[in-house]
Amino acid sequence: MKINLRELTISKAIGHMQAGDFDAVELTEAYIDEIAKKNRDINAYLEVFDDALDGAKLARKRMQDGNAGVLSGIPCAIKDNILIKGKTASAASKMLQNYHAPYSATVISNLAREGAVFLGRANMDEFAMGGSTENSAYGVTKNPHDPERVAGGSSGGSAAAVAMDGALFALGSDTGGSIRQPASFCNLVGLKPTYGAVSRYGVMAMGSSLDQIGPLAKTVSDAEIIFSVISGRDANDGTTIDLNSIKPAARKGNRLKLGIPRHFLGGDGIDKDVLSAFDSAVETFRSKGYETKEIALPNIGASLPVYYILMPAEVSANMARFDGVKYGLHVDGKNVILDYFETRAAGFGREVKRRILLGTYVLSSGYYDAYYNRATALRRLITDDFVKAFADVDVIITPTAPSPAFKIGEKNNDPVSMYLEDIFTVTANLTGMPAMSIPNGFAKKSGKNLPVGLQLTGRHGDEETLFRVGKDFLNE
Amino acid sequence: MIRLLCYNPRMITPKELEHIANLARIRIADDEKQSFLKDFDSILNYIDQLKKLPVLLENDNRMTMTKNVTRADTVKNTTPEDREMLLSEAPDRVGDFVAVKQIFGE
Repeated sequence: MKINLRELTISKAIGHMQAGDFDAVELTEAYIDEIAKKNRDINAYLEVFDDALDGAKLARKRMQDGNAGVLSGIPCAIKDNILIKGKTASAASKMLQNYHAPYSATVISNLAREGAVFLGRANMDEFAMGGSTENSAYGVTKNPHDPERVAGGSSGGSAAAVAMDGALFALGSDTGGSIRQPASFCNLVGLKPTYGAVSRYGVMAMGSSLDQIGPLAKTVSDAEIIFSVISGRDANDGTTIDLNSIKPAARKGNRLKLGIPRHFLGGDGIDKDVLSAFDSAVETFRSKGYETKEIALPNIGASLPVYYILMPAEVSANMARFDGVKYGLHVDGKNVILDYFETRAAGFGREVKRRILLGTYVLSSGYYDAYYNRATALRRLITDDFVKAFADVDVIITPTAPSPAFKIGEKNNDPVSMYLEDIFTVTANLTGMPAMSIPNGFAKKSGKNLPVGLQLTGRHGDEETLFRVGKDFLNE
Repeated sequence: MIRLLCYNPRMITPKELEHIANLARIRIADDEKQSFLKDFDSILNYIDQLKKLPVLLENDNRMTMTKNVTRADTVKNTTPEDREMLLSEAPDRVGDFVAVKQIFGE
């Protein structure tokens, strides 16, 4: 049977395999063929694993033995900063070009346990720093909806892999929007879980109080399945929590309330097609019986500056390990200390250096109070704003990004114009709350239909409500 | 939404940039210095807005829900296979050791 990849979802694929329409090996072969057709142009994958079919054969055997996992035979792309034992993991950097993972991330072990097939490693902005995948040391990833435009970042390869039918789902990482923004640019569902819901063991750290791993998928139901597999307490990650212990009590009555921070949506930095798509979404929710309410988040305007102080500070600490001593690139200097200077100058790209320097600056003596301490205090105020709002509403909605996918090269001149793309997404990383981007129609630009995303933010631990609202909106 | 206010031309001096690069252990080439300074000016101008917001700095600088999580300080031994995998990643290796240049000397 010729497999129609475009119409597949995880449940449909499993249904087909159970019905005997095709088996896991045929399914993986179909994806590998599709990647062969498209990847040269799109550059979603940095590497397609030559043993992907082995994983498919194993899945097929498990299904034949009646021992299938919930993701048996389902092919996925894995972002290049997530370790798979024995495989290269380069974080799209020259620093780790020849680095091989000595162990697997917990999310990988979990997916493998449930029978998922790893097709390859997905391109990204170097060390997850960027909003367009233009900062990859191995070339940009193009948007399958318009190859002159970016796929988003930093999980651009993950998003493009799924959008081009080169994977049925992907894993990405999200520190300031790096799952949600590419999902919105590529017409996918992208979830950043509650901080602590998913183990970060085996994932290269960027901003340790901000990072979360999450799924990029075609439907909310698919994202929910993947989340259930990858989430959970992990002894190897002390920041993981049991969501059941913080989940809100079931709300009385069936009518959910959506909060809209309208005061934050009026800037002229927001594309008018994005705004009109957002307003349409609000109407759709109302027609489905949701109550909507305007809410105030008084400190939200400070989110982006706070993020661009705290994140580089954490980055500067996390990048200190790359010194050419135990692994990775080594470039000789005149002595052991100068080795570090040379290695790091050669191994890191421009944006990574920029953020390390910025972080070093805000943490340095004389500036610590003015920047870092102040930002931390504001982070708490921003979080309190959201917690207060959630006393009254169940989900807060905004656009995911202020624009649809922009053209490759468009934002190269000014770092701040790239950072402004994160304006709606960083708050969920600062507060630790779960946030999901779902497809919300298209904007027509230069004759192309560009996807637009809607972002749903929930209470800590309340992924369940996000899934419920998302499925309802998308009529799943 | 916070907007960019008046543009201050120089937020950071070349000397300060050199000092930071030194702390960060990254050699910055002379031809890179100008563009890093320009980037810094742009970024610092943007984040500087926070200085104007009235904020009480308390001692407890924690995110709303964090607390320390510890485990017992016990040794988990590495298998010979894993040790080999780890050592084979080292740029310079002598037997079962990662080799580095002399720290003292000359």
